[in-house]
Amino acid sequence: MILGLALAALLQAPPALPELLVERRLAEAVPLSVGDTVRVRALAARGEPSPFIVAGVFEREADPNRIARNEYEMRFHLPDVEALTGKRDRVDRFAVVLRPGASADSAARWIEGVAFGTRAYGSAELASQSSATFRVISRFHDAIGIVTILASAIFLLCVMVIRVDERRRDVSVLRLIGISRGTVFRAIVVEAIAIAVAGSAVGAVLGLVVARLVNAYYASVYDTTLKFALVTPRIVVLAALLGLALGIAAGALAAWRVVTVPPQKLGER
Amino acid sequence: MIVSASLKALFRRRGRTALALSGIAISAALLIDMTMLASGLTVSFGELLGVSGYEMRVTPKGTLPFDSEAGIPNGTEVGRRLAAMPGVAKVAPVLGAQFRLAMGDSAGPPLFTMGVDPRAQFFYRVIEGREPGPGELVVSEPLARDGRISVGDSVSLASGLDASLGARETTRHRVSGVGDFLYDYADQHSLAMPIGDVQAATGRAGEVSLFGIATEEGVDDDALARRISAAIPEVSTYSTRELMVEMDRRLLYFRQLATILGSVAMVVTALLVATIVTIGVRERFGEIATMRAIGVRGRRILLAVVVEGLALGGIGCLVGLPLGLWMARRLDRILLSFPGIPARMTFFAWEAERVLLAIGLVIAIGAIAGCIPGLSAVRAPLGQALREEAE
Repeated sequence: MILGLALAALLQAPPALPELLVERRLAEAVPLSVGDTVRVRALAARGEPSPFIVAGVFEREADPNRIARNEYEMRFHLPDVEALTGKRDRVDRFAVVLRPGASADSAARWIEGVAFGTRAYGSAELASQSSATFRVISRFHDAIGIVTILASAIFLLCVMVIRVDERRRDVSVLRLIGISRGTVFRAIVVEAIAIAVAGSAVGAVLGLVVARLVNAYYASVYDTTLKFALVTPRIVVLAALLGLALGIAAGALAAWRVVTVPPQKLGER
Repeated sequence: MIVSASLKALFRRRGRTALALSGIAISAALLIDMTMLASGLTVSFGELLGVSGYEMRVTPKGTLPFDSEAGIPNGTEVGRRLAAMPGVAKVAPVLGAQFRLAMGDSAGPPLFTMGVDPRAQFFYRVIEGREPGPGELVVSEPLARDGRISVGDSVSLASGLDASLGARETTRHRVSGVGDFLYDYADQHSLAMPIGDVQAATGRAGEVSLFGIATEEGVDDDALARRISAAIPEVSTYSTRELMVEMDRRLLYFRQLATILGSVAMVVTALLVATIVTIGVRERFGEIATMRAIGVRGRRILLAVVVEGLALGGIGCLVGLPLGLWMARRLDRILLSFPGIPARMTFFAWEAERVLLAIGLVIAIGAIAGCIPGLSAVRAPLGQALREEAE
């Protein structure tokens, strides 16, 4: 009898609603919490919205490809999406895991040969295709970087020329008391290197601070954990080496201007 | 006279001044480029939207043009209601779809296809042949070139593919013309045909992806957009301004990058001018003290130093402007290789007002940077300055 009652209760109970997952940002914006009922309709579909139960809230992966549009996300069971969109037995894409040792290229060509209209990509090719945007941004950053380096080099050279010009009379005295051209030249180059290294060190600290500010700002704008600016040890070392090279070049050029002039003339106003 | 003496002093050290000017020119060029980049794509997008004469877009509720597969049902009826609204001059319906060139059982890659009303469309201009009639289509220049398709040829199109059987439901069309598609990216393969043909081939009878709306002269686009949204609740209406705002939102990164780099360029300019002028003033400290001692007023001396900064900033900008425009062209070429960006757009838009503002800013920075050493020279105790010079 108990079994009969349970069966009757099951038959009379309304069918369980399908479930979905909502992204954390959407859950906060609406707001929604687990157990809520939402009514959903596909934009491309007609008809009445269908009810769903919010089964969970998820955090979207930090994906730079989606940052520009930054749309909210919901996740359904595949049959529910088919029912919502009215597109039966249709799939946008499959993810395929190959057996160990299988060639991704051969599998891709086989799939394309068997199923008309499909394109199969290996992980590397897919990553390369989907990162086209970032390659362009990277090239743009490189170009801007070159302009910035050029401006910095001129600035450093300017500072060195001015500093050396300021001390033309001192250099003249040094030369007249017998200090060699080479020693004067090296002293100026060492000074330029010191300025460049100090500037690079300050720049690295400033870079770290600015990167943190930039990341904090974009994290609040896009509500994402993506990092927009990264100061890695490699970048710091590269910048320091570049600063060193620029320092040597600027120092050498500035020094050349004074060591090639006779000491008697250096003292003239 | 004092001003001219100050300027002569600036150019006495030619090498140093030339270096400073090249630094300022590069900074000014970067600032000009960042000013152009900050609004470039949005302005260019707005111009592209306006060039066709259809200033507004009506889309399925909650979507942007071609953002989803959503369509407006009963397109003919909605189109009629839109055309009847006061202020609307012309209505152009569009249905987007994907077709493939069918070759026997196999088919080529997907082609972006637009179903349009050939009498009212804003996506292409016919450059060879004529507008398509029923059973005809217009192909984009790159498609005609790469597919060796000429006006008068017949092509088979497949609206869908069966994974097992290959091309299915193919239809034959005659090529009536070759078009210049305004919104295509470089080398994009597109085609356009009468909207009825696309609706029939895709089984989307009466459906429209979006409407382009040309307004009558003097009509307020935003007010009309609000009226349309109120009268037809199943659609969203966007004026060119609203679409530009949305574009701006999506390109926030570039705008802010431009702001950051522009600020860096300004700081570098200020430092360069301040350094050069400060050193120049320091070198002429005694000269300035002597002038003050013989009764030249501090204000005139300050003016001379400020003019020095202005001259540096002004000449730097003169050199920086052509350099900036050249750099903008090079950078634009890099950025236009972004996937999906219409070939007609530019990331760096020339807006005279904004560029002049940037140049004015550099010159003003030069003047302000000149003020600091100028003030210190004028305010230094006269006796001490003369004694230092004598030593």
